[in-house]
Amino acid sequence: MSTVTLYSVANGLIVAILTGLYSVLPHAYFGWLVNPDLILVLSVLVFGAILLAASMINTIMLIWYERKLLGRFMDRRGAMHVGYAGLLQNFADGIKLFRKNTYKPRDADGLGFYAAPTAYMVTSVMIFAILPASWGWTAGPLPLSLLLALVVFSFAPLFIFLSAWSQANKYSLIGGMRSAAQMIAYEVPILLAVVAVVIVSGTFDLTTIVTMQTNYWFGIPLFVALIVFVTGMLAEMERIPFDLPEAEAELVEGWNTEYGGMLFAFFMLSDYLRALIGSFLVVLLFLGGWTMPGWVPSSLTALPLAALFWFLLKTYIVFGVFVWVRASLPRVRTDQLLRIGWMRMVPLSLLAIVLAALLVLAKCLPVLGCLPGVGG
Amino acid sequence: MATEETAVRSGKTELPLLWVAKPLATAARQFGRSLVRPSTIVYPFERLEDPKFRTEVHVASGKPIGVGAVWDNYRGVHALNLETCISCNLCAFSCPDICIEMVTVPGGDPKHPKKCPQIDYGKCSYCGFCSDACPEGCLTMTTRYELSVTKRSEMVYSPERLYGVYKEKLPMNPIRLERPKNEDSILLDAPLCIGCNACARDCPTNCITMLDIPKAAPKPGEKPAKRIWKEPVVNDSDCVRCGTCISVCPKECLFWGTHP
Repeated sequence: MSTVTLYSVANGLIVAILTGLYSVLPHAYFGWLVNPDLILVLSVLVFGAILLAASMINTIMLIWYERKLLGRFMDRRGAMHVGYAGLLQNFADGIKLFRKNTYKPRDADGLGFYAAPTAYMVTSVMIFAILPASWGWTAGPLPLSLLLALVVFSFAPLFIFLSAWSQANKYSLIGGMRSAAQMIAYEVPILLAVVAVVIVSGTFDLTTIVTMQTNYWFGIPLFVALIVFVTGMLAEMERIPFDLPEAEAELVEGWNTEYGGMLFAFFMLSDYLRALIGSFLVVLLFLGGWTMPGWVPSSLTALPLAALFWFLLKTYIVFGVFVWVRASLPRVRTDQLLRIGWMRMVPLSLLAIVLAALLVLAKCLPVLGCLPGVGG
Repeated sequence: MATEETAVRSGKTELPLLWVAKPLATAARQFGRSLVRPSTIVYPFERLEDPKFRTEVHVASGKPIGVGAVWDNYRGVHALNLETCISCNLCAFSCPDICIEMVTVPGGDPKHPKKCPQIDYGKCSYCGFCSDACPEGCLTMTTRYELSVTKRSEMVYSPERLYGVYKEKLPMNPIRLERPKNEDSILLDAPLCIGCNACARDCPTNCITMLDIPKAAPKPGEKPAKRIWKEPVVNDSDCVRCGTCISVCPKECLFWGTHP
């Protein structure tokens, strides 16, 4: 366990800056500058800025990662010219979108049109402050962080529908309705799958859940819940095969048809932010979070950011699985989507809950431990 | 569900799980194959005509894909051998797009400037008629296919530039056909000829000589003509059948025909 936390990084940065300023400025400002309250406020601000920048850069890198990976799945190369292996391609795209003009359709409702992308983005970024990424890399000790994250995560259909409604466009409206139906349908199995994890771990605190997975991953005894959660996350992220709300072949661009320029970039970024959050949640809940397996040498685990690196590695592998699914499967129909959601995923998640309850009752966690002759 | 109906129709009964598992396996197989090298050819840095791609690049099926050759009868940029060009104009005559203009190049004598084709690739349709028509085989087409430019004026290739293409020794298009041996010769309708020398002057190969001809015997009652009558005589072995003489003849007394 390392002592470097995100807050300590922000705090150190602020202290360093203020000390530097103190050496330049006259002595009269000393008391005003080196003030614990000021340091606290600035540290919190820098903390937020670092979190925002990290999540944004991570998201843009995630888009690059998906493009490269999807290219290989399709026997091609993906972005490769801007920067090394196309690493800066998405930054270039972002700059292009930033320079574009944003047009509001004449009949569109201004408030909803402009507020919805912002709110969608803000709620997506907010979750990053809740999710822990490593020891101490979180906003603070939140006993109900899992619940809070899921609640904020499920705000999305509201804003999507708000933007779809205010665009005054039939494609947007259909896309928004599909999105709302899909997200609400898949909230249920996701929450039920999370209940299985909560039954096993007995807590809503993500840090504690990860700590409990030091010796074994919850994904192994709760494999059914893992499958349900991943499928539900695919639908929540509106990724292929569940990308009905953005079905390009039918709905132009789905619920963000009328958006261009930076507002479109907001939606695009938020989609990938949510994909990143989904991967985070899968890793945190089922794949052991930032805990490292025993075979990793302690010289590596003692490195300051080893846990964070390990966590991001797992996240990117999980996102690679999402890309793999995207590269393989065709888009489902609406009725198939809802049928899979209500008739397959909900029973499966209930089964997962029953399994989790039985495991807890039999005091059989980890599973291998209660088999004779296996484990300890 | 449509998938169920399809499965029934095709006579296969598959587990629904396979509908997900099979595509995943296919995609994973493809991913593994293309991890080493996707079949994309990184064009500006790698060439399709590079022979190694004929065997090395594979697609999902695992078989080599049929890339690699630019056939030598590909009709790309022209190559012009300035040294053998005889300024016969035939390329410009035959061009259906009127993209060939004969421009003066240094090297001719002052009286008869040497004119060679300048090609505007903005108009050219790569039909190959010009290299078909070229009697000397000095205007041919190469396998070069890269013509992108940043200015429209760069699309016009001067004769010197075409000569530069020639000097690169690119694979040439053997599209120029051999002329048949029994092709028509230039014949003269002697009574119409006024001996104006235009044909001999413009002949690119100098195969026309104006020879004195015996004066026609004056008819009774007429004075004998005072002029020295000359008539073109075409050296058939040197003639390239460009037709320049026919087109410049003011009296239309030259024509295509077979020697009796």
